[in-house]
Amino acid sequence: MSEGTRTIEVNYLARVEGEGALHLRIEQDRLVAAQLRIFEPPRFFEALLRGRDFREAPDITARICGICPVAYLMSACAAMEDLCGVEVSAPIADLRRLLYCGEWIESHVLHIFMLHLPDFMGYPDAVRIARDHPELVRMGLRLKKAGNAIVALLGGREIHPINVRLGGFYRAPKRADLLALRAELEWALGAAEQTVARVSALAFPDFERDYEFVALRHPEHYPMNTGRLVSSRGVDLPVTGYDDYLQEHHEVHSTALQSRTASGGVVHLGPLARYALNRDRLTPRARAAADAAGLGAQVCNPFRSIVVRAVEVVLAFEEALRLVDAYREFDLPALPVELRPGVGYGATEAPRGTLYHRYTVDQDGLITDAKIVAPTAVNQAVIEADLRHYLEPNLHLPDDTLRGVCETAIRNYDPCISCSAHFLKLDVERD
Amino acid sequence: MHEHSLIANLLSKIEAVAQQERAEQVVGVRVWLGALSHISAEHFREHFVAGCRGSVADGAWLEVEHSDDSDHPQAQDILLRGIEVR
Ligand SMILES: [Zn+2]
Repeated sequence: MSEGTRTIEVNYLARVEGEGALHLRIEQDRLVAAQLRIFEPPRFFEALLRGRDFREAPDITARICGICPVAYLMSACAAMEDLCGVEVSAPIADLRRLLYCGEWIESHVLHIFMLHLPDFMGYPDAVRIARDHPELVRMGLRLKKAGNAIVALLGGREIHPINVRLGGFYRAPKRADLLALRAELEWALGAAEQTVARVSALAFPDFERDYEFVALRHPEHYPMNTGRLVSSRGVDLPVTGYDDYLQEHHEVHSTALQSRTASGGVVHLGPLARYALNRDRLTPRARAAADAAGLGAQVCNPFRSIVVRAVEVVLAFEEALRLVDAYREFDLPALPVELRPGVGYGATEAPRGTLYHRYTVDQDGLITDAKIVAPTAVNQAVIEADLRHYLEPNLHLPDDTLRGVCETAIRNYDPCISCSAHFLKLDVERD
Repeated sequence: MHEHSLIANLLSKIEAVAQQERAEQVVGVRVWLGALSHISAEHFREHFVAGCRGSVADGAWLEVEHSDDSDHPQAQDILLRGIEVR
């Protein structure tokens, strides 16, 4: 302690309430308002990007989130490469897909085992599950580690990858290094299949809704890095058409902007949407796992998103194995990217849904405008609609029970605020 | 994204404690990161420095203890251990 200062012990638990707050207004047993407040930092980064060199966009935006940095890297690269007219080579595209598999695994496994499973199993958190079912939590941690290993190898380190650049990578991995992952990926694929079986046996609330699903769609693969923007109501657009389809409105109750379709419709992004629109592109074992879990052509019960996430983990491991096996060392880890001023558009499938970036770059290569639409911001309206429908028949329940139900319902969408075991500040106004 | 709301949450607590202690300035912050809190010390530091700009904790030193015990009862949590004020 230096002179003139005092030390104060606090031991305060951060992350208990996060920034998630739900305001319910109940009048004579009728729910008249359900407003969710989610803090949305991409705005801050959009301002930060102005005046920066276009080549810096991937690394700057990757700092937005420690759970899905690869998604930010990939969407920023896609936008800048679109702007500069660069199409990456097949080996680079494959490595990027492998990197994205790593992130889906990390993020989905974290969500399934650490955040969502405790809700369904009736535990406050994963640490408490581990007391009764240590093997289950151990399996989750090992699965996540397998995802970390992919990100660490391709990205240069586990949490914030630094090896990605416009046009490709700074350094391509050695074939031997990728093959060294193989045995663990094999184990993980089997464990992921077990996870699907395990979570599909959970008890889910009987609740279905008719959603407008939106995701990317690729001609051959289940979507990750590229594709057209499609919806279950027949929309089919190139990513450059994103702004014509989804528009942001400012909602007074939240610092976030809410996205709706031009006609005011609410859309649903994420695993359920990807699955509904791309079931025919699932890998064989992922499809078999989905069939065995009884998932039909689409899943309209949002609580079952945990099962679809587990199916996507199977897919990610299956794809990772395929890409590792097919990998041959190559000479040019990055294509040259020459500046072309103008507007670039990029969208990729973050674990929690389509992540859109748009940049305007001037003739000096400086960013003059940036727009980043995180999937959580788009899903906010659909989360509120779910809550309204789900709560209406359950308003007689005590506030504590309501809070638990609301947390689970919000967690279906894996918003980044869900990092805390109990994050929701619930304020109920009864009249 | 979750880091941003996390830092905002932490900072509001730091500000409340500083005010309660009638402190002019927060010169140091000590934080404990659980093994399952899914944030690296380095990344936490970056967000902390950016988040504190212009606040009562602007320029404060930061000491981060990173636990690697995934069986710790608070393994998923982040604790604000204490602050040093002037
Ligand atoms: Zn995120």
